[in-house]
Amino acid sequence: MDVFFNNYFETAAMILFGIGFTTLLLNSNLIKKIIGFNIMDMAIFLFFIARGYIEGRDSPIIVKVFKGAEGYINPVPSALILTGIVVSVSTTAFALALTLKLHEQYGTVDIDEISNVGEE
Amino acid sequence: MDIIKSFPLLIVLTLFISSFILLLIKKAKAAKTISLLSLSFALLLSAIHMVFVLRGGSYYYSIGYFKSPFGIEFYITSIEGIMFLLFSFVSLMVIWYSAYSIDKDIKETHIPLYYLLINILIGSLLGVVFTNDIFNSYVFIEVGTLAACGIIVVKDKKENIKATLKYLFMSCLGSGLILMGIAFLYTMTGQLNMSYIHQSIINVQEDYKRTILITLSLFTVGLGVKSAMFPMHNWLPDAHSSAPAPSSAILSSLVVKAYAILLIKVLYRIFGLDIINQFPVLRIILILGSAGMIMGSVMAIFQKEIKRVIAYSTVAQMGYIFMGVGMGTELGISIAYFHIIGHAITKAALFLTVGFMIEHTGNKKIKDFHGIGKRLPLTLSLFTAGALSMVGIPLLPGFASKWNFALASIHKGELTLIGVILISSLLNAVYYLPIAINGFFGEEQESEKEIIKGIFLKELLPVVILSLCMVYLGAASEGIIELINMGLI
Repeated sequence: MDVFFNNYFETAAMILFGIGFTTLLLNSNLIKKIIGFNIMDMAIFLFFIARGYIEGRDSPIIVKVFKGAEGYINPVPSALILTGIVVSVSTTAFALALTLKLHEQYGTVDIDEISNVGEE
Repeated sequence: MDIIKSFPLLIVLTLFISSFILLLIKKAKAAKTISLLSLSFALLLSAIHMVFVLRGGSYYYSIGYFKSPFGIEFYITSIEGIMFLLFSFVSLMVIWYSAYSIDKDIKETHIPLYYLLINILIGSLLGVVFTNDIFNSYVFIEVGTLAACGIIVVKDKKENIKATLKYLFMSCLGSGLILMGIAFLYTMTGQLNMSYIHQSIINVQEDYKRTILITLSLFTVGLGVKSAMFPMHNWLPDAHSSAPAPSSAILSSLVVKAYAILLIKVLYRIFGLDIINQFPVLRIILILGSAGMIMGSVMAIFQKEIKRVIAYSTVAQMGYIFMGVGMGTELGISIAYFHIIGHAITKAALFLTVGFMIEHTGNKKIKDFHGIGKRLPLTLSLFTAGALSMVGIPLLPGFASKWNFALASIHKGELTLIGVILISSLLNAVYYLPIAINGFFGEEQESEKEIIKGIFLKELLPVVILSLCMVYLGAASEGIIELINMGLI
């Protein structure tokens, strides 16, 4: 159990990932699906950034004195996740726009009801 | 000759930049011209680039001034060269065809937007193929996903929006898993460049056995969803059948292939055979591929709409590619690449001819296409040529890849796979041949629109060129497989 508590960032990320993944896959409400997708993405971002953070070190910006490579955290994950966030935001915006369109056409945001209408 | 090394980057940039010029243009005709010009430019450069790669061999190209592992890098072998040529050729032919037909499917104000999306899509797919940086490939995947969703929804009908949302959610799921896989890879190795990941993962593989297994499964499922591996294929038939004909052709022949290529790269370039052979991953891909070959065809038989039949046939054909990947031998992978080329050209021709028939009759159901050969002889002949290649008639690329898949499975000692290939070919014949036979010899049906009889050579010229290339590909299969083998070493 200690493994989970010592790496609480990663544990939390995995739990959130599971929640987001199942919501995205199994929920039939489109808005909830989009929320699930966002939770899943955030969990990945948390995991990624947590891998770059090292307890007790500074942000990788040199102020006055250079503390040596041992003094700073790894900046690469944070930089990568910035891209990830942009991607996630644009996907969410696109999905919401489509949901809006679908609601105009069918009058519901429930994917099961929409498929039933299609078969009639 | 160093300038030729920058052609891949130049084309990705040309396609992206030209797409944003399209945003400023309101006229449909100008948009078509710009898209056609940029793709012809891509085809020209890819041909020159191909000759260069054949003479000079594979090379690394770093973008910007940072050298790897920090900068982004392209790794170009003869495989990337061939895919560059293939992607630009097929997309140019599809866009050429769409110049005559797209006005009937989408509103005139949307036409510049449509070509914007096509240019972005082709650019990002080429990026996925070229890049040697795993995070860079993730960004290209996401750009490509949004553009691919865009070219489906551009038709603006009920079923399009529904299919697009389904596709978007499945893609999000896939790309989430891929990003998680990248996070694990970065944690294990501290690198993002594929070659460097490979070097460090060999050193640490003993310590991270379980993590490697998780990463492998994340990548396999994530890219499997995006490239329609068998149980994760349910978004594909809706998306590919509801889109306008040129979009279906691009989606079916290029988009799913780029992700399959990335999966091959992840499995064999990042991990390498020594590591993946310790896990049952290849075995699972092989089984899913074989299941897809049979189930895709079985489901295609029960479809009533002609475009859905062809969409399900894509699921079956992706099964062949995954079977080749899952064999884990050099022969298997090179045949998988050959099948990617053959299927891309054939499926583009099939979707375009079917789109032409639907456009000229207003019908979608298979039974309404009886006797169509008497009115549109050239169209149905081209369709039949593509269908025969899918079934596996000698001289066509479908036969070449099936024959070589059979040889590869004998080489590996898995004789049951030959049975799977045979059953799948027979099932292909069951749903493709009746369409062709009834089209030529069936009774003529009443249709919603009055059908104009004729050859329509001008409109169908790109499809004719695609079919000629298909025949050439079948005839020259051995040489092309040798070229692919050059890139594998």
